[in-house]
Amino acid sequence: MDNIYKPDLMEVIETQQHTSDVKSMKLRFRDPNRAKEFSFRVGQFGIFSAFGYGESTFNICSSSNRKDYIEFCFRRVGRVTEGLWKLEEGDTMGFRGPYGNAYPTEEWKGKNLVFLGGGIAMPPIRCAIWYALENRKDFGDISIVYGARRRSDMVFTKELDEWTKRERTRVIQCVDPGGETPDWKGEVGFVPAVFENAKIPADANSIVLVVGPPIMIKVTMKLLAEMGVPAKNVYTSLENRMKCGVGKCGRCNAGPVYVCKEGPVFSIEQLNSIPLDY
Amino acid sequence: MSEIVAQDVLRKCVGEWIAAGKSVAGPKQVKWDRVLYAHLDRPEELLLDLKERPVNSIKEFFFPKHENLYEYKIEGNDVRLTETAEAAPEQVIIGGRPCDAAALPILDHVFNWDYKDSQYNARRKATTIVTIACTAHDDACFCTSVGLAPASERGSDALLLPFGDGYEVRCVTEKGKALFAGKTIQSDKTATEYTGPEKKIDAAKVGAFARDHFEDPFWKVQTLACLGCGVCTYNCPACHCFDIVDEGNAKGGYRARNWDSCQYAGFTLHASGHNPRGSQPDRQRQRVYHKFHIYPEKFGEALCTGCGSCTRNCPAGLGILSIATEISHG
Repeated sequence: MDNIYKPDLMEVIETQQHTSDVKSMKLRFRDPNRAKEFSFRVGQFGIFSAFGYGESTFNICSSSNRKDYIEFCFRRVGRVTEGLWKLEEGDTMGFRGPYGNAYPTEEWKGKNLVFLGGGIAMPPIRCAIWYALENRKDFGDISIVYGARRRSDMVFTKELDEWTKRERTRVIQCVDPGGETPDWKGEVGFVPAVFENAKIPADANSIVLVVGPPIMIKVTMKLLAEMGVPAKNVYTSLENRMKCGVGKCGRCNAGPVYVCKEGPVFSIEQLNSIPLDY
Repeated sequence: MSEIVAQDVLRKCVGEWIAAGKSVAGPKQVKWDRVLYAHLDRPEELLLDLKERPVNSIKEFFFPKHENLYEYKIEGNDVRLTETAEAAPEQVIIGGRPCDAAALPILDHVFNWDYKDSQYNARRKATTIVTIACTAHDDACFCTSVGLAPASERGSDALLLPFGDGYEVRCVTEKGKALFAGKTIQSDKTATEYTGPEKKIDAAKVGAFARDHFEDPFWKVQTLACLGCGVCTYNCPACHCFDIVDEGNAKGGYRARNWDSCQYAGFTLHASGHNPRGSQPDRQRQRVYHKFHIYPEKFGEALCTGCGSCTRNCPAGLGILSIATEISHG
């Protein structure tokens, strides 16, 4: 019988440091057969581990169209991420997954997409942005507002610049007031306010993906409601603490739902029906 | 007609199981004068005429407190993983209470919810559970409120009902039959089943209250005395939350599963410092909410067998029963 807690062994094939404490890594399955059979859907997550340090949960932040690797992004904050931080190209780490549900990208076809993200919340949005750009003809206009506390806290900045060049794609970068540098060319302000000022068209035919702290989601929802975007068209990804990822260890429930099995992707309409337990 | 086994014959059986190489566990006097379900080295260690329920539950023989999931060895850039778990030994648990055994079908749901936990399942398969029906109850018992009774057969392979100087044996499964084959004598009398406590709580009402009063001063008022020690979860036959950690160093070690508890602040603490269940009343609410709302919604029954362990062992006089009673009669 298979041990569901035993991870696949992954080779770190590329690491990228984004800020003083954020890195992303590209991983490839050590077992070529596993690589061949593996697939996931954007929005799903995995349990990543550094041996000797432990396991932690992260979104798979690469697009599901990239078949030769998976990517994840983390901030160095504790024991496990300290262990992950030390890994170099060629090293081996663990991965279990994919787990959880995914963004309903099929239902998004033909609609305008708006992506709103703050700080380290970029990775769970990035997979969907890449997915949309790689299937460009399936979707309408794409608007991205990405903000961080300071210029130096922004992640995947090169990609933000690259996305600007894509057709019918608008990218707005912002930093919180006081977080700008003298050469800062983006906006200054909080994500919801910058989104409002930019007059990005959003209506009942738009899909909005918003990931960030609860307060950002709350303020954004108020704006979206005024613009006529229904709560069922707005999605977010929850990040309750997890250990097993498969509905057994008992900690990730947000009200009655297990984030690991029924999430991490929820529409705001769904979230409105469960208690604030996340 | 019934099948009877005398107490001295039963004890002899225990000796035979041990001699046959089976791992046998049952109520036993351990240090500090405590009675726990524990591994038995000799048949005399088994306590049969217990007045009180052992402090722990039998879940640890299926879901150990600390368990090696697999070992890792780091060699240069490579890592080797080896599964070290030995094949689950043939195990007999004797003298468990019906409220212990009834928790196992409940745990089966969790450990087989889409993903099948092979180590748990292997132990379940290799274990025969012999329970002894209760003939008394105390203030903390409430099995009759959650659909069970002092002589419930649920989860048992064989149920023994105290009868004269022995027991009436009711074999529930083939495993139970195999264990007692040739050990019993027939009698034309049957044991009387003890009826147990009056119904004390309304489980459905407790679940609905937790669902509808998520944010309510009730939780604070009821659970402010909670010390957050987690004993209610460790002693509970149905609580199953766990943590996964690495034990070892940068060269090698193993990944372990340890019992965890929803009563600890670190249980749900996010890396950002945010904690969805940041206060002790939040965590007490979670325990009630999980047992009487979340679990019943998913699997159709309460995550509670009414054993009363949380109530009996709480150093602050709390436990599910007092909270649920307050809700049921409030």
